[in-house]
Amino acid sequence: MKTPQERAARLLRWYPNAWRNRYGDEFAELLIADIEERPQSAERALDVVRAGLLARFAMAGLAEWHGAWQPDPARRVQVSLGTLCGALTACLALAAAMWSQLAIAWEWTLPATATQPTMRATLVMSGAVLAFLLLVVLAVAPVGYAIVRNRNSRMVAPLLVLAAAVSLLAFGGHHFLYQWPGSGGHGAGGTLFPVIPAGLQAFAWSLTYWFSVHWFWLATGLGGWEIAWIVASPLALAAAAAAAATLVRRAELSPGLLAYETRLAAAACAVMGVFLGGCGFWVYVGRPPGLAHAGQIDIVAAILLALALAAAYQAQRTALRGLQLVRG
Amino acid sequence: MPKRDGARSGDDAGLAGFGRYAGPATLILSSLADGPKHGYALTKDVEEFAGVRLAPGTLYEALARLESQGMIEALEAEDRRRPYRLTAAGATALQAHLDAQRRVTETGLRRLKANWGAV
Repeated sequence: MKTPQERAARLLRWYPNAWRNRYGDEFAELLIADIEERPQSAERALDVVRAGLLARFAMAGLAEWHGAWQPDPARRVQVSLGTLCGALTACLALAAAMWSQLAIAWEWTLPATATQPTMRATLVMSGAVLAFLLLVVLAVAPVGYAIVRNRNSRMVAPLLVLAAAVSLLAFGGHHFLYQWPGSGGHGAGGTLFPVIPAGLQAFAWSLTYWFSVHWFWLATGLGGWEIAWIVASPLALAAAAAAAATLVRRAELSPGLLAYETRLAAAACAVMGVFLGGCGFWVYVGRPPGLAHAGQIDIVAAILLALALAAAYQAQRTALRGLQLVRG
Repeated sequence: MPKRDGARSGDDAGLAGFGRYAGPATLILSSLADGPKHGYALTKDVEEFAGVRLAPGTLYEALARLESQGMIEALEAEDRRRPYRLTAAGATALQAHLDAQRRVTETGLRRLKANWGAV
């Protein structure tokens, strides 16, 4: 049987370090007294777990901060924007995995075998991807400028990780562009839109092999480099997302820039919502045959995309509330 | 104090912004109106006068909110237990909230008596 002190310490671990630094000792005393009075209480355990997780959500920028452990409002907005950055990167990776399948299928077989709903869904998803990429450019440019201008030494490590991950993705994505069985943007049949180069479709496709049916081809004799790419590319994407989120959290951003980025984030969430709508239309209404067929893995991708989008939306709302405090 | 989601009109706006923590916040402020107390003493006092036992996580969520709104303040810790004290802003917010509650209570009782007699 554990002592009340041990049980209190165990419950306290549900809270983040910053919260424990401020309230840990006094909260542990309360828990010890409560445990001594009521040794068994599921209600107490559930309440502490719930409150601890909520504090962790606040630390991640997904819920409002309260109390003396919170940083200043501008810092809170940056934490939320960092989480937003990570969540939207996950959205983009999942969206690219699904969209590139349709884009490549369009090139090889569509519109000859496509149903009308599939074509409409593909157009909606393509428009959303292009709009999202435009928003990414608009968001990255001023943050990149702020990072370069301030030359903070804490930026070096995440910058190096980001550069390494992006270099690996660019090199690998380009290398496997047209060298994969049954895939690749050959460019012969024309692209989806004149504004979307065949190479972009193929690049998105090669970046997201890890989420495609190629996992099932592992047993059918893929080469060592292909297997290495399937393993390394999602890790590089995750590293890039984490490094980008860290950079956003550590950058010295003015209140005006925070407001600008928060507005862009709202637009990005809306655009990704449109993509998800098109995706749902493709999966549940289009049900196309052949290459554009939506498999179970696409349903999984759509669900994960919805979850990442929900996290991004929540972080955006939290950033917006923090911004109101920054402005007084 | 600015109103947030769920804020109601009236002079109890100070605590209305607490949402589902308004109940625990009222109990805590009422307890601290009698003098500074630490977490466990607060729990026992609230249990005694209101018949409600505040769970530890809920208690500290409400304390953190009250502290960030300037309605209570933390005193020096005594042997790892930190007492909290009601501030003037907290007293004003509690007074306004209880006045509003009293109006509701008196209206309800008056109407019950008029239409239902002694229930």
